[in-house]
Amino acid sequence: MAYHSPYRAAPHVNAPPDQSFLWNIFQRVDKDRSGVISDSELQQALSNGTWTPFNPVTVRSIIAMFDRENKGGVNFNEFAGVWKYITDWQNIFRNYDRDNSGFIDRNELKLALTGFGYRLSDQFYGTLIEKFDRQRKGQVAFDDFIQCCIVLQRLTDVFRRYDTDQDGWIQVSYEQYLSMVFNVV
Amino acid sequence: MAYPGYGAPPGGVPGMQQDPLYGYFSAVAGQDGQISADELQRCLTQSGMSGSYQPFSLDTCRLMINMLDRDMSGTMGFNEFKDLCQALNGWKQTFGSFDRDRSGAVEGHELQQAIGSMGYNLSPQAMNCIMKRYSNHGRIPFDDFVSCCVRLRALTDQFRRRDTTHTGNASFQYDDFIQVTMSV
Repeated sequence: MAYHSPYRAAPHVNAPPDQSFLWNIFQRVDKDRSGVISDSELQQALSNGTWTPFNPVTVRSIIAMFDRENKGGVNFNEFAGVWKYITDWQNIFRNYDRDNSGFIDRNELKLALTGFGYRLSDQFYGTLIEKFDRQRKGQVAFDDFIQCCIVLQRLTDVFRRYDTDQDGWIQVSYEQYLSMVFNVV
Repeated sequence: MAYPGYGAPPGGVPGMQQDPLYGYFSAVAGQDGQISADELQRCLTQSGMSGSYQPFSLDTCRLMINMLDRDMSGTMGFNEFKDLCQALNGWKQTFGSFDRDRSGAVEGHELQQAIGSMGYNLSPQAMNCIMKRYSNHGRIPFDDFVSCCVRLRALTDQFRRRDTTHTGNASFQYDDFIQVTMSV
């Protein structure tokens, strides 16, 4: 269940990339050669398969995840993490985009999230697509898929913090509940 | 806080045809008498519900539908639409009373007062979370204010349903928590 074992990315099929390979990529992405890849530089380097800019909220989340110095970007050391993170997501996405459409539709999303261990009602997948599909296609593109999973994970994390006996139930006061929600979603 | 039935009985409710709101509603609703988020957006703009403020964003309209959507159909019937308009008028009034300079936005501390005036008695920490979420350089425009109110109301309703002992504490099972929180 997604709750007890945090869903992992697809089994690690790539060998860790070598440093010069990563450095090449880093230099190309770091357009202003500042030594730090900013949100906008990363956004320009990523593709969601729709010819529209990569979801900036997702870009921000990714940078924030790996930026250990709160500088608003990632340096070369931190970039290795970013690269692996994105590559893992690409593998997952490709794995669940069964019809190779470049989008994950409602059924494929259900397969993916169920595969991660979530147990969600059928109608809820419709809600998720409505909420995250920025292309208004009724399916999620690569960036929106990542965003959806990131938010689900954040909710799981905040739930876990309150579930001290790990039985899948929490008891919260009204205010705790509001704070939990407004912090994440 | 019980919401009245969300559909209209066959033939509609008595007096429905004379309701001015029904005109706007039926103009966008299809045969099934239900409207989706983008139809709601059009409907609210055409009926002047957003007043002199910017039209509601699609996101906010989606939230509004979810707030009243018991069967998770993603659409809204006429009775729900009426409930929504009533709530919107209330929020518009509250907002207006705090947006004294008519700039279309209120400031952080005014948001706090507005929320308090609606009967929510929140701790400073909870208020901080809310302000962080909605404040754009210290200002909260009307659409975001409504979005906040909708979510507060929806979350409160969800919480109350799970506070079976009426002690101000609710139990959430994990899968339920995920779904409830994501749909608000």
